[in-house]
Amino acid sequence: MRRSALTSTLTFYLPLWAFLVLLLFPFYWMLVTAVRPNKELYNLSLNQLWTSHPTLQHFQKLLFATHFAPWLQNTMLIALGATVLALSCAVFAAYAVQRLRFRGSGVIGVAIFLSYLVPPVILFIPLARIINELGLWDRPAALILTYPTFLIPFATWLLMGYFKSIPVELEDCARIDGATRVQVLRHILLPLALPGILSALIFSFTLSWNEYLYALVFLSSTGSKTIPVGLATELITGDVFQWGPLMAGALLGSVPVALIYSFFVEHYVAGLTGALKE
Amino acid sequence: MQPQDRERPAGGLTRRRFLQAGVAGATGLALSGVGGWLKQALAQLPPGSYNPQLQLSFPVEPGASLRILRWSQFVSTDQPTYERMAQDFTRRTGVPVRLEYEAWPDVQPKAAAAANVGAGPDIVLGFFDEPHLWPDKLVPVTDLADYLGRKYGGWFPVAPQYGHSAQMGEWIAVPIGAPGSCLNYRMSWVKEAGFDPDPAKFPKTTDEFLRLCRSLKSRGHPTGFALGKAVGDANSWCHWLLWTFGAHAVGPDNTTITLNAPETVNALEYGRQLFETMIPGVAGWLDPNNNRAFLAGEVALTNNGISIYFAAKNDFPEVAADMNHAVYPQGPAGRPTELHSFSQAYIFKYTRYPNAAKEFLRFMMEDPQYPRWINAMLGYVSHPLRAFTNLAVWRSDPKAVPFRDAVARMLPHSYQGTPGPKSARALAEFVIVDMVADALTGRRSVRDAILAAEARLKRIYEG
Repeated sequence: MRRSALTSTLTFYLPLWAFLVLLLFPFYWMLVTAVRPNKELYNLSLNQLWTSHPTLQHFQKLLFATHFAPWLQNTMLIALGATVLALSCAVFAAYAVQRLRFRGSGVIGVAIFLSYLVPPVILFIPLARIINELGLWDRPAALILTYPTFLIPFATWLLMGYFKSIPVELEDCARIDGATRVQVLRHILLPLALPGILSALIFSFTLSWNEYLYALVFLSSTGSKTIPVGLATELITGDVFQWGPLMAGALLGSVPVALIYSFFVEHYVAGLTGALKE
Repeated sequence: MQPQDRERPAGGLTRRRFLQAGVAGATGLALSGVGGWLKQALAQLPPGSYNPQLQLSFPVEPGASLRILRWSQFVSTDQPTYERMAQDFTRRTGVPVRLEYEAWPDVQPKAAAAANVGAGPDIVLGFFDEPHLWPDKLVPVTDLADYLGRKYGGWFPVAPQYGHSAQMGEWIAVPIGAPGSCLNYRMSWVKEAGFDPDPAKFPKTTDEFLRLCRSLKSRGHPTGFALGKAVGDANSWCHWLLWTFGAHAVGPDNTTITLNAPETVNALEYGRQLFETMIPGVAGWLDPNNNRAFLAGEVALTNNGISIYFAAKNDFPEVAADMNHAVYPQGPAGRPTELHSFSQAYIFKYTRYPNAAKEFLRFMMEDPQYPRWINAMLGYVSHPLRAFTNLAVWRSDPKAVPFRDAVARMLPHSYQGTPGPKSARALAEFVIVDMVADALTGRRSVRDAILAAEARLKRIYEG
């Protein structure tokens, strides 16, 4: 019994705690840096992992001396808009490629995924031309329409894999009972694919939340920026990084994403591993 | 009348100079009429002279408005001052101005999109080669640059190298200035090392400088110079190292790669000795690392803008009191060979209001606006026009003085070539920094580091 406890400690709890420390340390570091006064941040002789004089001055600066509130609002709007748009397209695309089996569907499936590999730095100038012609400069719509260019391919690829794991016989039964394809999709496939859709949602939301290059290029005025670009613009002054407010911004900026993860984590894992097995 | 505080700039209008100008003026009047007189007289004036009688203005288009993209502030007094000046411009001309800010390395991608799309900000304040990446898309500003040069005592030599396009045969950008880089050092530790901490007596040669660094290191006070992808700090000191030994990456023809030379070997061998005095970890240093190490007392000497000093004045007064600045020493080249992040303003041709844009730049570069802005930045940006040498900021704090002539001492990063897409790529890819880092850290031998850099440069310049 004692040996068994030792074994489980060595093989399970120890790696688990090590993994937890590894994953949570960046958040702890953000928190500690965000509440340490500047004098301590630059005094390397002090313990870097703790502070004896916690302060909220960095949060105060972030919230009242920058445009953090509108940045947060913009980022939320853009991330939600782009995610909804991308998932709407990806569900239909994945279903079509996976189930309709039209000529060339396999090639199209691969092509959709390959398009995900095109780096944004190549696309931002042609996309800028389109955004300009649509008159969307400096508007959230510019990003809501742009982000699906990289969200749809990955979400489609993810959902294709998930749809594949759902037995086609379930759909056949529904079709025999007289259901249309749309009804099959709505009443059979989507409920069963919910974990996969949620994992695609989390993935899309996170990518949109953190995106930098398009947000930098397509948005200009201070109040219309997203959190990543806004923080870099106002809190990095030349070679002076205002670490306290930056870490406070990173911490507050990561809260919505962390909340979404915590609510849907089971579905997310199921979506990635495939919940239904034939 | 003199710029800003009405004090005479260095090389200002003395009686002798006035007489010289007068004689030149009289001669010119006789020779070429009144119009020619002015030009002749100004040509005869000594460099640095301020000529307030010159006036220029551009007729602003009716209904004009301007969008300006610029780098976000280095010091907190910058943007408010610039915005007040822009409001002054609006009050005088009726032209509304909208200012947009980005972190300084992020200006270029935005400008690239604007240049390719044909829409975006009317004016951009960018860095280094940017205007030379899209010279045909810019409004020529030769008239404005000539006017400013003549009125404010002439441009420092590097200004036309960045502002003028040989391809277009015109000035395509108005030089704004450069956040200068100097040696930042702790005076007490320099004194402890047996050297005079007075900036005027700081080591002037590379040999003497190495002796100082070794002495500091032996007393437990290492030096620290960034060898990571530090856009400002690493580029600044690595190019200085190369150039001060007489080496350069490319020839004046912009094609011949000249890096593989004995001078480069000498520079890197010297760098290896200097590296022995540095604190461990510099190979991964980015721009903020040396600030933190210096303020934490980990290093006694580094290269940086004046930002460390201002951070120290705010939060570490004891460090501020004990630190000072000095210019880089000179090696076998025997002259200043510094690189600083050079900023200039350019106007895109797609603007509907080119005259308003030029008028804005003229207004902002003139006395008293420009001096007010530079003074507000507390010495972070050095001026490109000679007449601004004696601004209040350069006299208010002796520790800022070494930054004053940064533009006068610098070479363009494309040296010996001219700025353009190729030199922009070489800088963006950190070719010189990587070579120095490889050789100094021992990742490669000196010879291999040079050969690797040479191959990369050939791909860029000859490809």
